[in-house]
Amino acid sequence: MRRRIQRSLWSIAALLILWGCDNGETITADEPVPRKEVATGKIVALGDSLTAGLGVDLAASYPSLLQERLTQQGYNYRVVNAGVSGETTSGTLSRLDWILSQDPDIVILEIGANDGLRGIDTALVEANLNKILKRLKEEGVVTVFAGMKMVWNLGVDYTSHFNAIYPRLAAEHDVLFMPFFLEDVAAESSLNQADTIHPNEEGYRYIVENLFPYVIKAIETAENRLESG
Amino acid sequence: MIKTAFNRKFLLRELVHGWRHSLLFVLCVMLSLMTMSALNSFKDGVNRSVFRDARQLQGGDIILHSHYPLSPGLTDKVALLKERDQSIASTMIHEFYSVVRSAGRQSTLLADIKVVDEHFPLYGKVELGSGGQLRERLQPGTTIVAEDVLTRLGLERGDVLQIGSGGLRIVDTVVHESDSPVSVLNFGPRVFVAAADLDVIDLVGKGSRIKYEMLLALPEGSDLQAVAAGLRDEAIAGQERVNTFREEGSGVKRFFDNLLFFLSLIAIFTLLLAGLGMQSCLTALIRQKQETIAVVRSVGAGTAFLYRHYVCMVLGLGLVGALLGLGAGVALAHALPMLFRGLIPVQGTTSVAMVDLGEGLLLGLTVVLLFTFLPLYRLRNIKPVAIFRKENVSSRRDGVFYLTIVIAAAAIAVLITAQLEDTRLGLLFTAAVLAFIAAISLVANLLVKMALRLNLQTLSLRQALRSMTRAGNASRSVIITLASALSLLFVIYLMEHTLHDTYIESYPANAPNLFSLDIQPDQRQGFVEFFEEKPQLFPIIRARLQAINGEAINRSEELRKKRDNFAREFNLTYRDGLLEDEQLQEGESLFTGAGSGDMLDVSILDTVAQMGDIDMGDVLLFNIQGVEVEARVVSIRTRTKSKLYPFFYFVFPGDTLRDAPQTFFSAVNMEKDKIAALQSRIVERYPNISFINISETAEDLEVLMGKLSRIVNFFASFSMAAGGLILVSSILATRLERTREAVYYKILGGRKSFVYRVFLYENSLIGVFSAGVALVVAHTGSWALCRYFFEIEYIPYVSATATLVLATVFLVVFVGLLSSLSIVRQKPARFLRENGGG
Repeated sequence: MRRRIQRSLWSIAALLILWGCDNGETITADEPVPRKEVATGKIVALGDSLTAGLGVDLAASYPSLLQERLTQQGYNYRVVNAGVSGETTSGTLSRLDWILSQDPDIVILEIGANDGLRGIDTALVEANLNKILKRLKEEGVVTVFAGMKMVWNLGVDYTSHFNAIYPRLAAEHDVLFMPFFLEDVAAESSLNQADTIHPNEEGYRYIVENLFPYVIKAIETAENRLESG
Repeated sequence: MIKTAFNRKFLLRELVHGWRHSLLFVLCVMLSLMTMSALNSFKDGVNRSVFRDARQLQGGDIILHSHYPLSPGLTDKVALLKERDQSIASTMIHEFYSVVRSAGRQSTLLADIKVVDEHFPLYGKVELGSGGQLRERLQPGTTIVAEDVLTRLGLERGDVLQIGSGGLRIVDTVVHESDSPVSVLNFGPRVFVAAADLDVIDLVGKGSRIKYEMLLALPEGSDLQAVAAGLRDEAIAGQERVNTFREEGSGVKRFFDNLLFFLSLIAIFTLLLAGLGMQSCLTALIRQKQETIAVVRSVGAGTAFLYRHYVCMVLGLGLVGALLGLGAGVALAHALPMLFRGLIPVQGTTSVAMVDLGEGLLLGLTVVLLFTFLPLYRLRNIKPVAIFRKENVSSRRDGVFYLTIVIAAAAIAVLITAQLEDTRLGLLFTAAVLAFIAAISLVANLLVKMALRLNLQTLSLRQALRSMTRAGNASRSVIITLASALSLLFVIYLMEHTLHDTYIESYPANAPNLFSLDIQPDQRQGFVEFFEEKPQLFPIIRARLQAINGEAINRSEELRKKRDNFAREFNLTYRDGLLEDEQLQEGESLFTGAGSGDMLDVSILDTVAQMGDIDMGDVLLFNIQGVEVEARVVSIRTRTKSKLYPFFYFVFPGDTLRDAPQTFFSAVNMEKDKIAALQSRIVERYPNISFINISETAEDLEVLMGKLSRIVNFFASFSMAAGGLILVSSILATRLERTREAVYYKILGGRKSFVYRVFLYENSLIGVFSAGVALVVAHTGSWALCRYFFEIEYIPYVSATATLVLATVFLVVFVGLLSSLSIVRQKPARFLRENGGG
């Protein structure tokens, strides 16, 4: 009997922990937590020109800024910039093997904008993203999935279908979901370059600010997985 | 002293006696004026039509451009301008991509939407399928689309097209837009929407990516730069761009500018060439008249008498030449549009005002006086004693000589500046021309001095050299004249070809007009099967260049460079052989096959080598999406065709990057009409593949470039003609001397063959010297022009130049020998009797 109660208590505790972990709530940044030294981990920033940093110095791109912040706060992780300007979800799917050959612990996936700008069929976009997320999961990679929203001029039909892809997939897969990669940044002229769709240095700082909590969460998840074997 | 003021008989006799030289003189004058007047009357016409084309390409005189709605400050300023000048027209354009759908939402298509008001287009024309006018046909509630839209969505005229929140009825198709921008690559076919429907479709707002453009049309003769500058003051820097049509669209603009500059150059060069011709003709004429003049002087005629008559003669001949030239120029200006109907874009007859004619005449006579002053001045040096002694007209370098040079230089400066319409440029150019003339004289003299030192065995050769270098001999001035003329001709030839290759060859007829992107590795097989002729697929691996020889790329520095730089991502590729239009510039083969340990082989393009000062053997560090790869440069390639063919900066050997993440792209040339259908079929199977269809743009460009190249060729031929005349006149100028020499040789026992040989060698030497000097000067000049004025790449054209030199030598020898035929036949005794001994 006691054992049964103990088991139940543990289960409840586990459930509580799990529930607290992932239910799609926005996570906010807290005070920086002093960390003890851990083995070097690898975070691969996988995406398109928003990851590659088109139009800004490489040092001002979001993966570089992220690296800076992680190092500052004592996280011994290396951030690899695997962004390719102009890439679509089809391209990312094709090069997933290459990315996985680098043995990432965490992948930040930010892709789909170029599919949208070229008016590519949303069913295909969703199918590709689905395959990517599935594969990452199979390889045991902790994924931070960044959502994307399409520009309004493409038409309400297209944009609504496109925008719905990301939350839907996030719900289906076990990922850390950042609803919109360009939150606070999109459509703000002061935070974007002259072409209005690529952030400037200031814009990327905002993005990293918003992204950071998810990355921290990913790191915790990764390390928990490591520890639990 | 002879008291008669004017002796007509004397004048006439002199004219007839030296008819050959007089004729050449007239021809030179005629040619120079013909070119100037034709070019100037043409220039306006060419200017207008060239700029009409350029203006049409841009759609307006002034273009305001932004990705945000235009600021109130800017729009208020425009309103103010229009209030002040009622003749200013404006139009507002919204352009963006959108996914349009057939009414039942069965099929969708990414289209390039252009929302226009009733003033569009300001310039040029939008050709519709019905043949009607855009502003009449495009009413609220309707849309006009490209044929491709109908094909790909399975729609017809009269059907409804869903655009955004609105459904618009398709009333017409667009066949051709004159303002198809040449630099923009479009991903979708055109859809026109009326401005009144902007709210209906509800696609423009916050969160949209829209191109906001306002075009202004100003009355003829407005100061566009000033107006644009005024608007620029009101524009939000970094967000709103204000340009005149000349500043937009850099590639084509540069071509127009260069073309017009080149035409001006040709005009100047022709003028100079003709001037040189005039001078050499006159010098020869006076030399011929030397004895006559001496005789006349000895019977008491004063310098004044001589001057009066010879100046009269020169002016008379000049006037005849000028009138002929102007007349021919006017006739040309009228006839050409007919002759070259549709080819040269000059339309309508260019009316020639009396003022223009008078101006041209004055110019012509000024030029004549300018170039003939010195020979005329030298008349005074012919003393009576010249009857008895064969003294050549001494070319004393006295004060007058130098004064003439100065005045001539000033006059040339004025002429050049007037032609170029730019003071700074004009003065710069004049300085260059004068330096060039000085350089030629220097080099020619140097060559002659060097030749004197030569110890030659063959008598005939020695004689040839001696006679060429003898003091007072006309040969030296012939060399200088010839060398000057040839330099100018060579420069025109080189520049014409360089311009042609840089611009016109860049858009050949069968260049690719359809690019397919983002083909995934597993789609290759299926993709090529859509084409009758299987297209080549090029693998693309995106990567950054991290370091060259261990030195990291300084990205912020690179980004500041105006042209291509190393801060961007590159498309690496791999294959085992050269492309059709590639050539190895350095390295014996594309790859060594060895690989150096950990390092891969890489082949780079010459433009990249120049960009980063990279040599054979240098080590490049690439970052392929997180993976670092080192490679050693083992060969450098160069391209022989235009920039529209695919080109690759970095090429790796076949096996090495096969596993790297890559997509493929293909470039094909297809019949314009078949493209849309093919695209639909491909996208149905592979929805991720995107297309860039530049068939329209390519076609437009081809037509434009063809037109313009014909203009350039036509005017360049004027200069060639001038050059030819000079050649003939220069050779003829030395006729008298040769005659004398031929006689002497014969007296001394030389046979005809000996005399011929001496002439052959002398002409050859003149030809070689002149061509050699011209070669050096022309290449230097051409390089300087390419680098500093045209800002294009200098191409050496080695084989063409070699041919030119050979052709020159041949021509000089041919003409010289031809004119020598009669000389050699002269009987010594008769000559001596007629021309006196000495």
